[in-house]
Amino acid sequence: MTALAVALSLVLSQGYAPQRQGLDPLEAEKEARVMRLGKQLRCAVCQGVSIADSPASMARAQLDKVRELVAEGKSDEQINAYFIERYGEWVLLEPTKGGLNAVLWVGPLALLGVGLLVIVLQSRRRPAALVTAPAEAAPAPSPDDALLAQVRADLEK
Amino acid sequence: MTRVLGPVIALSVIGLLVFVLAKGFGSDPHAVPFMLSGKKATNFKIKRLDTDEDVTLEQFKGQPVVINFWATWCGPCKMEHPVLEDAWRRYERQVVFLGIVFEDTEANTKRFLAENGHTFPQLFDPKSTVPVDYGVSGVPETYFITRDGVIKGKVAAPFSDPRQLDPLIGGILQ
Repeated sequence: MTALAVALSLVLSQGYAPQRQGLDPLEAEKEARVMRLGKQLRCAVCQGVSIADSPASMARAQLDKVRELVAEGKSDEQINAYFIERYGEWVLLEPTKGGLNAVLWVGPLALLGVGLLVIVLQSRRRPAALVTAPAEAAPAPSPDDALLAQVRADLEK
Repeated sequence: MTRVLGPVIALSVIGLLVFVLAKGFGSDPHAVPFMLSGKKATNFKIKRLDTDEDVTLEQFKGQPVVINFWATWCGPCKMEHPVLEDAWRRYERQVVFLGIVFEDTEANTKRFLAENGHTFPQLFDPKSTVPVDYGVSGVPETYFITRDGVIKGKVAAPFSDPRQLDPLIGGILQ
């Protein structure tokens, strides 16, 4: 469905790219690796679609490059590095967990921790405040209190 | 101490949120970064459409080079074609212009060039490996390469006026 939507948008927006003859698929195991790597790389002309899932001509060209690099015996890291060198980390559908990106991964957990800390601190402080506040705010004894005490004593008799 | 800690934590969290949101909304999520700026341009060897000769980037060593990636199915590329032809006429003695067609058929390209005319060499990349080597993300895209073979600039949009190329060509003529 996504592929159809992408294909339609490409056709309607900028014309039809003739289906060229891409590189032949590699042997099954290597081709599976090509598709796995392709699913991790972002298509440059699509909306959040990988080059393995996109029918766009540019994505086909990029997937062929992955195929070529796999055929040359390059490792996954070398292939990712090739694309990052040319397209930046933007090309990775899932950002790396190192460097500044660590904030994205650790940030939510850190915020959760801070939230819990605030709750714990507040819950520790509140009972003390509740105990002390009425005592501090207790009104000075008035002449009526003596009268009330007398009434209570009379009722108990 | 705890009285100070609460507002500090709250301000830090709000500050972090504002920073992340400003950074996120302030940039185009679809803009592909220009990573090869200042880096050596990758050599290539592909066929020239009119003569069938192999052309390499290395053979133009010592000369500034403008490379335009395009395809005949791309409307903006067709509109840009006469603009680049005009720019080539103005700079033909100083700069090498190359067109690289990819994700297209040779027949379509030859037909388009026959109908619309062309001056500078048009190369055909049947495997579309050269644009990926250059970090191309769509068509048309134009790269400006210095005499030393270093990529100095890139424009990922069609030119509508030959004068738009002047500052970019000026940058690689130095």
